[in-house]
Formats: sequence, structure tokens, C-alpha cells
Amino acid sequence: MQKWGESNRLLNLHALKVLLGLVALFVGMTIDYKMYKKFTKPAVILAIAFLAVTFVLGGEVKGATRWLRFGGLSLQPSEFAKFALLFHLCTLISTKGDAIKDFKKGFLPMMIWIGSVAGLVLLQPNFSTGSMIILISLVMLFISRARFTHLLGTFAASIPLLVVVALTRPHVMQRIHSFIDGSSSGGTKNYQLWQGIIGFGNGGLFGVGPGASKQRDFFLPESYGDFVFSIVGEEYGFIGTMFFLALFLLIMLRGFKIAKSARDEFGRLLAIGITSVVTLYALVNAGVTLGVLPTTGLPMPFVSYGGSSLLFTSFAVGVLLNISAQTDMHPRAPKVEPVSSLSAFTEDKTVKVY
Amino acid sequence: MLFKKNKQENSKAPQKGNASQVDAKAEAGGEKQFASRFLALKVGFALFFVLIAGRLAQIQIMEASKYQATAKKQYEQAVVLPAVRGNIYDRNSNVVASNTMNVSFAADPKIIDKDAERIAEKFSEVFNKPKSYYLSKLRTTNSSGTPKRFVWLERRAKPELGKRIEAMRLEGIVPINEAKRLYHYDEVAGTLLGFTDIDSKGISGIELQLDEYLRGKNGSVIMQRDGLGGARPSVDYPRIEPFDGNDVTLTLDLAYQSIVEEELKKGVEHNKADAALAVMLNPKTGEILALATSPGINPNGVNASDINASRNRVVTDMFEPGSVFKVVTASAAYENKLFTPDKRFNAEHGVMNVALPRGKMRQIKDTHAYDWISFQEAIELSSNIVMAKASELIGAERLYREARDFGFGVMTGVDLPGEVKGRLKKPNEWSGTTLQTLAYGYEVGVTPLQIALAYAAVANKGVMMKPYIVSKVRTKDDEEILAQKPQTVRKVISPETANLLTQAFEGVVERGTGKDVRIAGMRIAGKTGTSKKYVDGKYTEGSYTASFVGFFPVEDPQVVCLVMMDNPRAAGYYGGITSGPVFHAIAERIINSTGRFTKTPTAKEKERNNNGITVPDVRTLQINIASKILEGQGLKSELFGKGDVVVRQIPEPGKRLEKGDVVKLVLNGEETNTTANGAVVVPELKGMSLRRAINRLVVDDFDVKVRGSGVVVSQYPAAGQKVNAGATVQIICEPRAVTAALY
Repeated sequence: MQKWGESNRLLNLHALKVLLGLVALFVGMTIDYKMYKKFTKPAVILAIAFLAVTFVLGGEVKGATRWLRFGGLSLQPSEFAKFALLFHLCTLISTKGDAIKDFKKGFLPMMIWIGSVAGLVLLQPNFSTGSMIILISLVMLFISRARFTHLLGTFAASIPLLVVVALTRPHVMQRIHSFIDGSSSGGTKNYQLWQGIIGFGNGGLFGVGPGASKQRDFFLPESYGDFVFSIVGEEYGFIGTMFFLALFLLIMLRGFKIAKSARDEFGRLLAIGITSVVTLYALVNAGVTLGVLPTTGLPMPFVSYGGSSLLFTSFAVGVLLNISAQTDMHPRAPKVEPVSSLSAFTEDKTVKVY
Repeated sequence: MLFKKNKQENSKAPQKGNASQVDAKAEAGGEKQFASRFLALKVGFALFFVLIAGRLAQIQIMEASKYQATAKKQYEQAVVLPAVRGNIYDRNSNVVASNTMNVSFAADPKIIDKDAERIAEKFSEVFNKPKSYYLSKLRTTNSSGTPKRFVWLERRAKPELGKRIEAMRLEGIVPINEAKRLYHYDEVAGTLLGFTDIDSKGISGIELQLDEYLRGKNGSVIMQRDGLGGARPSVDYPRIEPFDGNDVTLTLDLAYQSIVEEELKKGVEHNKADAALAVMLNPKTGEILALATSPGINPNGVNASDINASRNRVVTDMFEPGSVFKVVTASAAYENKLFTPDKRFNAEHGVMNVALPRGKMRQIKDTHAYDWISFQEAIELSSNIVMAKASELIGAERLYREARDFGFGVMTGVDLPGEVKGRLKKPNEWSGTTLQTLAYGYEVGVTPLQIALAYAAVANKGVMMKPYIVSKVRTKDDEEILAQKPQTVRKVISPETANLLTQAFEGVVERGTGKDVRIAGMRIAGKTGTSKKYVDGKYTEGSYTASFVGFFPVEDPQVVCLVMMDNPRAAGYYGGITSGPVFHAIAERIINSTGRFTKTPTAKEKERNNNGITVPDVRTLQINIASKILEGQGLKSELFGKGDVVVRQIPEPGKRLEKGDVVKLVLNGEETNTTANGAVVVPELKGMSLRRAINRLVVDDFDVKVRGSGVVVSQYPAAGQKVNAGATVQIICEPRAVTAALY
């Protein structure tokens, strides 16, 4: 008979999620990314519908209605919405071409989509994911050659919205306050953050060793969630955190390289978008645990314990691999070894030959 | 650097791909703008990376020592709030293991500082230990020389002593309630349950197997010095509440378990065996009702010498089963319809030579000489020769497959730690005699549980159930988080074959080698087994494993029980007179003590009761007198062991027998070594286990001096020398080499 304990239950559950993530990755890798262009609009409408339904029916966790349950499964529609919106923005930008510079024809329709999705997510209230959706949308608009005046205007316009949400949700204000107060003051307002930083510091250069984290046992309950980076820092030290960062840097570099050599505008935008989402989440999560950004509940991609994020991020990376498989980076056997595009540096040379 | 390179390439690459679709000129302008914005994005991301890396360097390298100090301070102030370990219950909800709460005392030396003398004095008064003991604890320092922030002064103090300390309200002393594991029935089921270490972590048995469930999760609280100098839970840190362990319910029946253990212990004493074990199952469900080893352990006070006894040998050890394995041979014959139980074989008058390749011969012997007997009689009388002959008719492949179907050579999957799968060789690994010897249970390694399970399958009309001992795991809030239900493993044999086997096994008890097991009014089926122990590469005369496995009532089997005795030496070593009587005693007590069984004497038994002979008590009598008394009653006697005085008789006095039945007389032990003038002959001890050697020497009142442990390698005085009674014999032992494989 096996042993079923609390920790094993979490591990088994997580293993299941990783398995589902791998399936999602494979699906993303197999489907031709150009297909999505036709479906991004229905997808984003569906996402908005989900968000609306969740808002009405969703389960409440720690004061926020973020989950939608189907039988035994629960999904975070905001994760789906994030990617649906991103894909749709890529469709819009790639079809409109230079019309993007026109406020009424190009810019305004996009702002309506962004506004609806981000607005609903903010209302959940999920301040952190909402802000990330706005941030990623801004990145997409920026890269799509939208006019600076439009961008600045939008940014300026979104500030009142964020402020209103922040003011009406006490926990958001509290977090921002404690951030401004000086997060490393040792005060009691931001206990988790302070304990996370102690974890990093306690790790020092080489770390305390695998599984030896005491912060996890005594001071950082549920550290397998958003504060997992701090445990990495404590157990594996500066060496470990640098290695960790290097992995995400690698993902970013490869992602942008894929974007550069993508066959069409849609693929290029998609590659930039997906790469930005993964990289920004990692950086923001790290920034939060290190106290350089206000505390938010954002997961570390691929690492934090959380099914929805893992599932959708894996799928998105699968799409990235599909784009890569169709580029000139792999002229001879485009679909045979798409995974290699993430791992092999040496292929750069061959690219130049072709 | 990287980004610069990208920029150069960027202006060319996408152009190639898209030139045909879009107006080239506009595209060129657009691409230029795109390239610059893309570059800006990359620079932005790069700056973000640099920011994170810089912050990490600041925290983890530049300011690391500051945080390490903070972390250390925190840990030293952290006091674990221990979770209470879950209880263990038997099938009738009797608490088998629970906890008593004891109070432990911790101190923060830094807070106490000036008070150390006084506190040490108080503790010394209450606990009767020297003052210096506590003082040194209170003055422990870290490697850096600063006082420690947390030391244990006393752990698990007796409640009355604890109360006295608590009443003193000493500042800086933190009382912490700690649970101590309590096993309500001491050594009953001790080996099965196992035990925990001082931190309540499971070390063996059920405690180990279900540790994750039972353990729970400790909480913690951070202590802080308040203005008055006392240690108080800090308000700045959350108190992490402990999460108590889950309760486990076993399939074990405590009443059966204690009966089994008492009888097993008696059996070990009577037979001067090294050890014994028993396992009892419900054949219809696979539930383990009792499981015992003797000697066992008392988990309430485990010491180092118990290490060996803490192994649950029912699943961790394998042995050669001997005749109890004949269930496989008979099944293979019946299942393949090769012959019927009444087929007659020539039993060769007790000795048969089997030709080996390369011209060698091997002898197969029976305990009693028979000539022509039926196959069923061969099972009842346990003839090895007939089994060997039958096996030749069955053939290697069929015999092997039958053994495999019965689960030999495969783990049963029982929920107990340390199970081994035994060893069943494939036909292509067989030696020249395996076909014959496997038929009566040699050249195969099995666990006791596997044997019990095979007979359970016969009792359950051929269907084997998966054995299990944990039926339920519940949280403290009574939420069921695990429930095991009976699980079928496979149909091993047809109901017809099971029926034929049951008839034969009932014959074993009625007429055959297992007659001592008979209980009037209860139909019992079973099989005896005896095997020479294979020690250090050869079969050893005088070293045996004796077993009896059986089930009852035959009409509707409720209980399967295997009793096995390791190296019985008092008298005969046969399963029928060593393990059989233990089985008999267990069965009789279980049948009489519970309302589950009804006795219905058969006509023959009634006849026996009315007109039979009451067995007289001949114990403590000289052999010749005892035999005469029995003869006078019309009974025969059979002697077991050496010596001249009867110490035990089977059946016991008062039982009813028929005219001409045999009463087995067990004599007072090994022949006396005392010579006429009071000198004693030193016995040969070499090769014996230490325990056995000591037992042997104690019999003749020698004093023993031991060096080393394991197996006796030399002795002084040497074997055969005559010394005065009560002399000292020195034995030198060496650890036994890892037990050689069985083959």
C-alpha cells in the first residue's frame, strides 16, 4: 500500500497538473498557429462570458471570486482570458497593418477589447492579473507601432481606473502602503514578504541545501505558491537564483529569436506576446518576492503550485514551439524536432548559412 | 551585445518573408519602426533582469550576514507545537495505541541568565538530578559564544513532577505539552504495531507504514521576550497551529490477537523453539485478524536487543515451506484433471532413489513407510515420495504455473512494511531434482503470509483475496480519508478443486498427520509441514521449521491460521506435534470464547464421547510407567525427544480417544549429560546461534561467558570434555554472514 499523506497528496496533485501541462504543450505544438487567427475573436468573447459568469457564480477564495468550477475541476477564467486577449490582439494588429495608427479604425477597437477583459478581471477583484493584462497589452500595442500619443493617452486613462479599484479594495491599498512604508523594515504589515526576503538572505551565496529551508517550515506557510522563489533562494543560494534567472533569460532570448524569424506578422506578434507573458510573470514574481514591487498574487511560471497558470502557460509555449517549427530556423525538417529550438544554441550558425 | 546583433539581422530577415505581400516601401519603413521598438522592448526586459539580479546580489551576498542573523534569531525563538499522533484501533474500536500528554520544560537561557542558579536548584529539587546538570544546560552557548535561545531542561516529565514546576511559575521557563505514545496492551501486537522515536516518528510496523497519516503536522509559535523578562508568544508572528494526525482502524481482532500470542508463547516454551509466528486471516475478505511473532516486542519500552524481534517475520522472512506446499502439487493435478484423489501410487516403503544427471542418485524419504496408497492418503499422511511421483505426471510447466497462480514468488501487496516476494525459480532455472523436491516444498522460498494466503484461497472456493490490515483512516473530525475494502486477486483454482483439497485437508486432521488439531464438533481442514533449515549452504539435521496451516469451520470457513515454529528442539520437530497443538489451542479458545462458532459433533464424535477412552494424565511419570498406564487403557504411546520422564502429552488429559489411538509423549529434554561422578559433559556448540547456545548451556546449569554475537565459532572447554557441574563455559561468537541464499 502506498502512503498517502498531506505532502504526498500535494505532490500527486501537482504531478497530475504537470502531466496535463505537458499535454497542453503538445497540443499547442501540434496545431498550426495560423489556424488561431480565425478563432481569436470567438475565444475572447467566450473569455469575457466566462469572466462574467465567474463574477456571478464563482467560488470565493480569500475574498475574491476567481474560480469557475466544472465538477471536480476548477479553472481560473482570468488565465484563459489573458491568452485569449493576447491572441486576439495579434490577429487585430496583423490584419489591420498600418491602420493601427488610425485612432478610430485601429486603436479604439483594440482598446475596447482590452478594456472589457482587464476591467472584468479587475472587478473580480484580481488586481494583479488585471494589471498584468494591461501591461502586456501595452507591450503589444507598443510593438505594433501604435502612436506614442495613443499609448500615453491610454496609459493616462487607465490610471484613474486602477486608482478607483485600488481605493475600493482595502487589501490592495494595504499592500501598496506597506510597499511605500519600506518593505524591508521588519514591520508586521507585510509578514510574508519580509519572511521571503529573510529566506533569500539566509541562503547566501550557496544556500542551505535542498530541503533544508526552515523558512518554509516555520515562517512561510504555503510557500509552494507565489513565494516559491524565496525557498529556491534559501535552499540553493545566489548560485541557484542566478541559474533560475538564467533559465528565464534563455526562454526570452529564444522566444525573441523565434519572433524575429517568424514567417508572418501574426506569428511574430504571437511569439513576442507569449515570450513577454512568460518573462514578465517571472520577473514580476521575482520582483515581488524581493520587495522591489508591491506584493501581488502572481505565480512564477512553471514553478508555483497552480494548475490554471501551468496549463495555459504550457499551451502558449507549445504555440511558440509551433511558430518556431515553421520558421527558417529549421528549414530541412520543420516539424520533426520542434523542441530543440528551446535548447540548442548551436543552430545559430546554420541559420546564417541559409 | 546580443541585442545589437539582433538589430542588424532584423532589418533584413522579415523582409524576405513578407516582401511579396505588402508594399515594399511602406514595409521597409514599418520594419524599421518595428525594429527600433522591438529593441526598446528588449532593452526594457534586460534592465528588468539586471534589476532583479542586482537585488538578489544585494540580499544574498552583500547583506546576507544580516539576514542570516535575523533568520537564526527567529529559529531559536521558534517553539514547535507538536501535533498529536493519531490513535490506532482494532476492528471492534478498541484503542490499541494512543497518547498520554506529558509536559516538557524548555528554557530561554538568555532570558534566565541571572536566575540560572535558582532555576537549576528548583529543577534539581523536583527531578532529583544534580544542580550542575541543569546549570550546564542553561549555560549552553552557540558556536559564536552567545547564549542559546532554546534548550530543553526536562522532556516528558511525570505529570505530578511537572505540576510542581508549573506551580513555581519560573520566569523564562516554557512548559510545552508533549504527547508520549502509549500502547494499551503492551506486547500484544507489539511487533505488528511497531513503535515511534522520541519525536513521535514511526520506526517500524504499522507506525512506520502509516506514519504520514498518523503523524500530523507540527505547528510552531515564536517566543519573544516581553518587558518583564518572560517569554511570551510573539504577536508579530502568526501562531501556526499543529494539525493532529489521523486515526487508523485495523482489521485486527484484539481478542484473537491476544489468544494467538499467549498460545504462541506457550508453544515456544514447550518446544524450546528459537521463535514462532502466527497469522490469522478471514479467507473471504483477506482481512488480517491476528498476526504475532514470539518473541515479540513491547513497544512501550523498546530497547536495543529488540531490533531483531521488531521485524515482522510473517512478511519479511522467507523459508522453505516443506509439506504445506503440497497444496500446489495437489491443485496442479486436480486442476489439470490429470488424476483423481483415489489414484493409487506406490510409496516405495518409505525410501525412493531418484536418478540425477551425471549418474548421481538422490534419496527421497517418508517419515513412515507405506506401500500402495491413494493420492488423497498421501496428502493426509504427508508422503513426499508420492508427491514426487505425482509431480512427474504433472510436469514442470504446470507445476510452476500453479505455484505462480497461488502467488508464490510475488509480493502479496499487504500494507505492512518490509515485505519480500520470496523465490520461485522458473523451470529453466530448475536443478535436476527440482521437479520432485518442489512437489513437497523444497527449493522454493516463501513468506508465512503467502502460505496462509494460499490456504485462504482454498477455503474461499478457490478465490484469492488481497490481504490487508488497515481498514480505515479518519481525520480527527471523523472525515474518512481512506477505506480499504476486500479486493479479489484472482481465481486460483476451480471450486471443484478447492472442494477436493478441502476434503484431503480435513482428512489430514481426521486421520492423518494433523490429528492433534481435532476439536470435537468442529470440522477443521489443515496441513502439517516440516522442513529442514538450510543454514550456511547445507540442510542441517536437527534444525527444522515446523508449521501447521488450517481453516475452520469447513462448511463455511471463517478463519485461516498458520502457526510456524522455528527450530523446535524439545521433542519431535514435526509440524503435527509442535505447531499443530498451538493451532489446536488457538482454535479451541477462539471457538469457545466467541459466539461466532457453533459446535455440532458428528455421529462418530458422539460415539467417541460416549464410548471412548478418557486420556489419563501421565505427565511427570517415567516412560515405562506412563506407557503401561496407557496400554492398560487400550491406547498406544509414541515417544518424542530424549530423556526418561514425560513432560507433556498430546492430547491432553481428559480428551476422548478411541481404542488403539496414539498418545504422544514428550520427554524431559535432551539426554542428560551428567556422568556418574557428578561431572558434566560439555556439549558441542559450534555453529549454533548465540541464543540457542545459551539455552543449551543453561539446560545443564553451566555458567556462560560470551564474547561477540552471532554464531558460535569456538568454545572453551571443548565439546565432549568433562567438567564439574556449574562450571563456566566460554563461547566466542562472530556475526552470521548475511544469510546465504536458499539454493
